[in-house]
Amino acid sequence: MRRSISLFDSSRRLRSSLAPARLLQNRSVILALLILVISIALSILTPAFLSSRNLTFVITGMTYDLLLALGMTIVLLLWGIDLSVGSVLGLTAVVTTMLLQDGVSIPLAIGAGLGVSALCGATNGFFVAYLKIAPFIVTLGMMSVARGIATVLTSGYFVSGLPDAYKAIGQGRLFNVPYMVYFALVVVVILAFLLRNWRPLREAFYIGTNPEAARLAGIRVALITLGGYVFCSMMAGTAAIFMTSRLSMGFFQFGLGAELKAIAAAVIGGASLRGGTGSIFGATLAVFLLALINNGFVLLQGSPNAQNVIMGGILVIAIMIDAYRRRDLAED
Amino acid sequence: MTPVLEIRRASKSFGSHRVLHDVSFAVYAGEVHALVGENGAGKSTLMNIIGGIHRRDAGEIMLNAEPIDPLDPWQARQLGISVVFQELSLTPNMTVAQNIFVRREPTSALGLIHWRQLNDDARALFERIGIDISPTELVGNYSVGIQQIIEIAKAISFDAKVLIMDEPTSALSESEVDRLFSIIAELKQQGVAIVFISHKLGEVLRIADRVSVLRDGEMVGVVNPSDSNQDEIIHMMVGRSLGDLYPAKGVVSDEVLLEVEGLSHPPLFHDISFSLRRGEILGIAGLIGAGRTEVARAIFGADRYSRGSVKLAGIKLDLKSPRQAIAHGIVYLTEDRKVMGLFLSMTMRDNIVSSSLARFTDALGLLKHRAIADESLRAIKQNDIRPRDDLLSMTSLSGGNQQKSLLAKCLSANPKVLIADEPTRGVDVGAKVKIHQALRDLANRGIGVIVISSELPEVLGLSDRVVVFREGHVSAVLDGDNIAQADVMRYAVQ
Amino acid sequence: MHDMQILKSKQSDGAGLLQRFSLETLQIGGLALAIVVFAIIVQMNFPVFLSLPNINVMIVNFLPEAIIALGMTIVIITAGIDLSVAGIYPFSAIIVGLLLLAGAPIPLAIIITLAAGAFIGAINAFISNTFRVHPFIATLAILLILRGVNIIITGGSPVSGFPETFAIVGQRGIDFGTFLLRYSVFIWLALALLIGYLLRNHRFWRLSYFIGGNRRSARMSGVNVERYLYFVYMLSGALAAVAGVIVASQFNAASNSYGQNLELRVITAVVIGGADLNGGAGSVLGSMLGVLFIAMIYNAFAMSGISTYWQDVVVGAMLLASILMGEVLKRRRAN
Repeated sequence: MRRSISLFDSSRRLRSSLAPARLLQNRSVILALLILVISIALSILTPAFLSSRNLTFVITGMTYDLLLALGMTIVLLLWGIDLSVGSVLGLTAVVTTMLLQDGVSIPLAIGAGLGVSALCGATNGFFVAYLKIAPFIVTLGMMSVARGIATVLTSGYFVSGLPDAYKAIGQGRLFNVPYMVYFALVVVVILAFLLRNWRPLREAFYIGTNPEAARLAGIRVALITLGGYVFCSMMAGTAAIFMTSRLSMGFFQFGLGAELKAIAAAVIGGASLRGGTGSIFGATLAVFLLALINNGFVLLQGSPNAQNVIMGGILVIAIMIDAYRRRDLAED
Repeated sequence: MTPVLEIRRASKSFGSHRVLHDVSFAVYAGEVHALVGENGAGKSTLMNIIGGIHRRDAGEIMLNAEPIDPLDPWQARQLGISVVFQELSLTPNMTVAQNIFVRREPTSALGLIHWRQLNDDARALFERIGIDISPTELVGNYSVGIQQIIEIAKAISFDAKVLIMDEPTSALSESEVDRLFSIIAELKQQGVAIVFISHKLGEVLRIADRVSVLRDGEMVGVVNPSDSNQDEIIHMMVGRSLGDLYPAKGVVSDEVLLEVEGLSHPPLFHDISFSLRRGEILGIAGLIGAGRTEVARAIFGADRYSRGSVKLAGIKLDLKSPRQAIAHGIVYLTEDRKVMGLFLSMTMRDNIVSSSLARFTDALGLLKHRAIADESLRAIKQNDIRPRDDLLSMTSLSGGNQQKSLLAKCLSANPKVLIADEPTRGVDVGAKVKIHQALRDLANRGIGVIVISSELPEVLGLSDRVVVFREGHVSAVLDGDNIAQADVMRYAVQ
Repeated sequence: MHDMQILKSKQSDGAGLLQRFSLETLQIGGLALAIVVFAIIVQMNFPVFLSLPNINVMIVNFLPEAIIALGMTIVIITAGIDLSVAGIYPFSAIIVGLLLLAGAPIPLAIIITLAAGAFIGAINAFISNTFRVHPFIATLAILLILRGVNIIITGGSPVSGFPETFAIVGQRGIDFGTFLLRYSVFIWLALALLIGYLLRNHRFWRLSYFIGGNRRSARMSGVNVERYLYFVYMLSGALAAVAGVIVASQFNAASNSYGQNLELRVITAVVIGGADLNGGAGSVLGSMLGVLFIAMIYNAFAMSGISTYWQDVVVGAMLLASILMGEVLKRRRAN
């Protein structure tokens, strides 16, 4: 007999799931333990780790990845995938900063940038949800198109000379922590709440598990799927706004390879490539874990080139964890 | 005379669960031996052991008095034991001949395929069993019924001495069943031993020379159809008498609930008109491919139709999606529960409320978890789904309980009209009776029920009236208590 | 018999152009037509476009893609995907270079490199088989790892200075005066013809279509699907290594920066060529035409002086357009 977690789990089950043995089957708990172990190890190995400067650096750096991973979690939940987020980030960055450079007002430039990202997402979603084309291939195409347009727009040059008020978005701080970190945390909390309680997002679980059955059950499959892709792209657009204002420039290569990190984080955090599962807190912890590992490498003077190897290695480990979790699910 | 295939005292357990215990079974050349039993009785396991999918824990398999030990289906086929499984094993993107002879194509020494000979071999095979199918056509271009026949041809092509068929008629229309039975008769003539596994006792009694009955993993007995009847076999299968298979018919009101007028969507269906009254069970009979499911899906808003109208309680509906249909109280129980009905990896609770989430949502779109839990527990009790734990994954339920969950899901949406497409497909006799009773209870509560079924006895036993479909048209609407099976067949085929 | 005939006649009702030809024929025919139209348009503007020397340039520039597409075709036919080729390709260029610099004899260096490519392919198959993950993810992980490894073993700077004789494969050839037909082109031709022929006619190679069309059915027919996938991914890895060796020989250097976005171009070419990402369909001829089309587009961009940055946009758009067309064709046939 296989018992699984219901979407509508009531408290009596939650209490029993706090038993130690069950606790260890909870991915978020494992991730939190790993984060703890690595943090302790790093603080012993290098005093620089616990400096507020370094911690702020880690947390700020992970914000972009976190936004992307949250969007990716929703798309994976819907049994989709979005390979275009990195390119959409680059395109949004270029569009927003070029508009600012041309003297367009800040809200308008941000609105236009987010609009472009939403348009990319809507295009992806339209192809996937309404034309029923494999998301892998649609977003692969969008990946080259968006990056290509960003390249063409800038001819490969940096876009700089942004207004100070714009830079404040990414560089401003409250209690020595950048605004964008608070923003990301608020998104995490709201999204986690909605994923549990808001009907359209609950319905995403059904869609990801069996899209045809979901449609026959009266769920708006196409609309919700479209919404998922728009959300995912807009998360990339939001990350682009923060990134450009923090770095005071736009560049067509922003977000290069970010889609892979986002997928890895979402999968490590509990999303499955076969749809129907995903966890906001899991993805958040996974992004944090990856950021720590990355930071550890930098601090310990490990070659930054090894990052890719580590990322790939972590992805393999995530795959193994996922396979272990699914071990009693029949194949095919 | 030695049997071609003999199983001696075979046993098999999965973990602590004993599936087969000390089962012996023999089939002779030129014999059709039916194997019947409820779901979970061990039929499939027995077949999987013979066919090389599972290893037995104890016992022997003798082929022509020689002990054999097939390790996989391929090896079993090489030995002359061919199993035709319920799920089709064909590849739609390849031709008929390529499918039949995969891995056994006539080749040169280097492994290069002789294409012409391959197609000739297939043609010869079809001639042998008396069917006319083009070897060079893609399998995907044929209907499921014909694919089933291709599947059987493939099984025979291994020079099968023993041919085992697991529910071969579950996807076949009545006339395709006749076709299959004449193939079986032909093979019997040629001395092939045939094991025929089926839920449909009518068919079993028609085709079998002997019937073996399994119950709870044990062989209860072997009977001769000529000195037995359906009731006796059912009694052996369930170990108790089930009473009547079909509930007593109810009182139908005169009030028309659903009216379908001139519904057309060429080439699938044309000018379909019928009405459903409150409290009525309306049966829809017809061959596979006659357009029954297509019409049901069109009424439900799952597929489009080009002309015609659907009226609910006199008001014309223009449904563009299942969501709108459900909102109006029209619910469709799909014929394929695993692919289109259930969310297998999710819990029973998630499944039961999947069509009715709107009922448990507040104005902001937030869900009421407590109400959802209450609803699922209520539905489990009402539909007698076992085990009574709504946090179990759907995969751990038996076929019958999955089907009951599917019904519970439909009912949770508070339907005015329930369209049940093959509501008892692949379900054992016990669960069948319960589902029939549940459908009648619904009708008695004033719900209009449409039952689509390929099993004629089911349509006739359950329905107040029967609509017969033929090639996308309504060919007859039959009324009354004593509709004859032959009449329905006549309208369905001619 | 009666209703069977009814069913059959229903299938052949309204047999138009769409029904008369197989999907494969339609797709390859359409692609060939697109190539011809495109070539004529470009030719009218740039008369040098279809000259033999320029065609030779197109082929040489896209030789790695063409060779790797051979493996990718089979991978996609089995309903898989191999992103790691973009890592194996520079990796094997580097490995063969390092072996040569270490003094290994040329044949040995090449053999070891090809074996390494096949070995990485085996790892892909192992991960995807054992952990039952989609090969997209397994090969993505390997691609990431290889990108890192490539930087680490080269320190980020190119490896060069290989023995003279190693350059024969990629730099020498038959001199036609206006252009040099390199030996490497013959290697590609031989591989394409061989693999194309086997994939059409050989019993073992044809199993890939069964596996991609219906994995269960292949299993029921006694195919050891897992073992077959080892073969497929090892072949794909080895072919990427062949491409890597050739490029190392051609430039007399190996760099971790080789093969940027190569996996995208290859997959696009194979899909344009009629392969179905859901498995069960694809052909070497189609894939080679797909590579040719992309090569022509790149070449035309380079000649026209339009920003080459547009290439990515066009390739992405083409991928989407060809998928759309395939879907439309499929649906029209189904109706």
